[in-house]
Amino acid sequence: MHKFLRRNFAGYAFLSPWLIGFFLLAIGPILASLYLSFTKYNVVRPPQWIGLDNYFYMFQMDQRFWKALQVTFQFVVISVPLKLMFALGVAMALDKGIRAIGWYRALFYLPSILGGSIAVAILWRQLFNYDGVINSILRLFGGDGPYWLSDPKYSLWTLIVLAIWQFGSPMLIFLAGLRAIPQELYEAAEIDAAGPVRKFFAITVPLLAPVIFFNLVLQMIEAFKSFSGAFIISGGTGAPLDSLLFFTVYLYNEAFAFLRMGYASALAWVLLLIIALFTAIAFWTSKYWVHYENERG
Amino acid sequence: MSKFNRRQFLHTSAGFAGSVAVMSAFGRPAFAQDAAVRHFWWGNPERDKRTFAVIDIYNGKTPGVVVSGETLGFADYFTKLTTQIAGGNMPDVIQQGYGVLFEYIANGAVVPLDDFVGKSLDISKMDQSAIDAGTVDGKFYALSIGANSHMAVFNTRLFEEAGVKPGETFDPFAYTYDELKEFAAAIKEATGIPGTDDNTADYQNFSDFTVQKGANLYNEDGSYGPTQEIVEEYWSTWAAIRDAGGTPPGPESAALAGVSELSQLGVVTGKSAMSYLWSNQLVGVQGLMQDILGAAVYPNTPEMIPGSVIQPSQFVCLTRDSGNPEAATAYMSAFVNDLDMTAVLGLERGIPSNSEVRAALEPNLSAAEKVSVEFIDRIQGKTAPLTAPPPSGSAEVEQTFERLAVSVLLGERTIPEVATDFLNQAKAILARA
Repeated sequence: MHKFLRRNFAGYAFLSPWLIGFFLLAIGPILASLYLSFTKYNVVRPPQWIGLDNYFYMFQMDQRFWKALQVTFQFVVISVPLKLMFALGVAMALDKGIRAIGWYRALFYLPSILGGSIAVAILWRQLFNYDGVINSILRLFGGDGPYWLSDPKYSLWTLIVLAIWQFGSPMLIFLAGLRAIPQELYEAAEIDAAGPVRKFFAITVPLLAPVIFFNLVLQMIEAFKSFSGAFIISGGTGAPLDSLLFFTVYLYNEAFAFLRMGYASALAWVLLLIIALFTAIAFWTSKYWVHYENERG
Repeated sequence: MSKFNRRQFLHTSAGFAGSVAVMSAFGRPAFAQDAAVRHFWWGNPERDKRTFAVIDIYNGKTPGVVVSGETLGFADYFTKLTTQIAGGNMPDVIQQGYGVLFEYIANGAVVPLDDFVGKSLDISKMDQSAIDAGTVDGKFYALSIGANSHMAVFNTRLFEEAGVKPGETFDPFAYTYDELKEFAAAIKEATGIPGTDDNTADYQNFSDFTVQKGANLYNEDGSYGPTQEIVEEYWSTWAAIRDAGGTPPGPESAALAGVSELSQLGVVTGKSAMSYLWSNQLVGVQGLMQDILGAAVYPNTPEMIPGSVIQPSQFVCLTRDSGNPEAATAYMSAFVNDLDMTAVLGLERGIPSNSEVRAALEPNLSAAEKVSVEFIDRIQGKTAPLTAPPPSGSAEVEQTFERLAVSVLLGERTIPEVATDFLNQAKAILARA
């Protein structure tokens, strides 16, 4: 053991910033939140053990919990496929060997870097305000835009558009995947008189399936965790009428607005389980539609 | 984490030495022998400017003590404070409001000042009423830094253009919701800008209205005071003003439900001619706009029962995490007594509770400050008695009110339906808290 330590000391020393961070800032708080989820804890008083009460309350009494789930699912189910389709479309357009492609890639990737920021959420609010840019443009064409942000019919869509706009990172991954598809396959298909649609579904999609799967899982997890846009645009409360009550926004409110840290921890664990469940489902279905090149079968 | 001090850290990973050195170079230049006092408040740009200036004055006057300031908007202030309580690193001196304060006292986050009174802390010139307001169970906890009340502020230019004359067309210190409806619609007619903000989702106005109707927000047993009739009448009253054209359209007001930034008030954005706030906020709002603001009380019912209270707007308190309570209380003392410092603070946090300070401020008041002093003078004796602080759960009831009021503004459900829903939810929240 001693020998082992001495031999590997330098390695662990270099790893230490990450290791310390992982144990103190990730594993520690995660375990603490598991404990807190069985307590009533308002920060100022010490936590008080209440067993499964938080979970019973959540599933049996808490209407806002179900509302938050509904909003979050709606967001995931709509935004993730649209974002992936959009990203794939742009990636295919850029795969055509356009001049100055590096510039386009950087340009399209930019929103992904900016997208999660508070500044962009505030910008989004300005764009979709009743007197904002979007409605001003609509008015030029004689239309009268709705109250995008304060009407619960539209408010979630502004965030879905915001999510799609951040298509940069799946796009880059798609682009790399497209580059890996051998051109000979397309050439052979052309000789057999296959049109673009046929080529897309018979060659691109199956060969890109592992990449699509990877992006799907990543984007799904991201969408479940989405927070800052909804937080800023709804003023922190999920308004209007809880139409932007993302699960994370609800969790934040329970924790920091109403000081129910125990209950909020329970919510966090339920979110973790939901994400794990959906990721597992995605992996389970993947064996029916994702095939890897090096597989025999 | 605390066991892992910087020296061990450097020992294990020398590579970090550089960045640690850089980080400490960015820190405040404090000398080891100096007492450090951290002061944390929620603010607005005007208040932050004044408070930082006051900290500079104090640091200049008292060698050996370094006060540093931290500020956030109201919405984030208590979030940060909460995490600091959990982490055991609250600043020495924090700002508190009437209401939340009592929860902090009950939990021991805020500590009594009695041991310092007459030594580092001088309260000999404070109004007795202000001292009483900061006293719980015979112990003195909170130093009032100003009194205030509910206030409506109006854009004098728009009122004039519409021919609405305070004192002639309506009495700014006693007018009814019906009168408001008429002149608000008249202002819209004349200037194109609606006469008033829509307070359907404004809990402060609702609480005022509840008291006007002879009830209290919370009964003595902690149960919820407003009845179905009161909630319905409140929302119908504002619906009538809205239908008369006196307010911005419902969906526009819905977007502002629960928003507390002064910059979003109708008078500041130019979307209405009258907004509603706490009287101490007048100075901050006037700082955000060109047109001159006038002050009025909240509208009332024909019975004219007072609905507003005069209460301490804010307190400064000493926290249990303070490492140097003598230095911290000395700073608190100067914050309310020192004439150079209070001259800079002015009335931005409310009317000072120290008679000497008030007298010294009198000759140098800005126009907006004069308006707010006159306002508090005029409403003396016309306000409701100070009620017991709200029970825990009250913040959630307030947020629920704001949320459900949106469906009234959007016309999604009828007022009686929403009122029933709200009262049921309020009851459930209070039962759970």
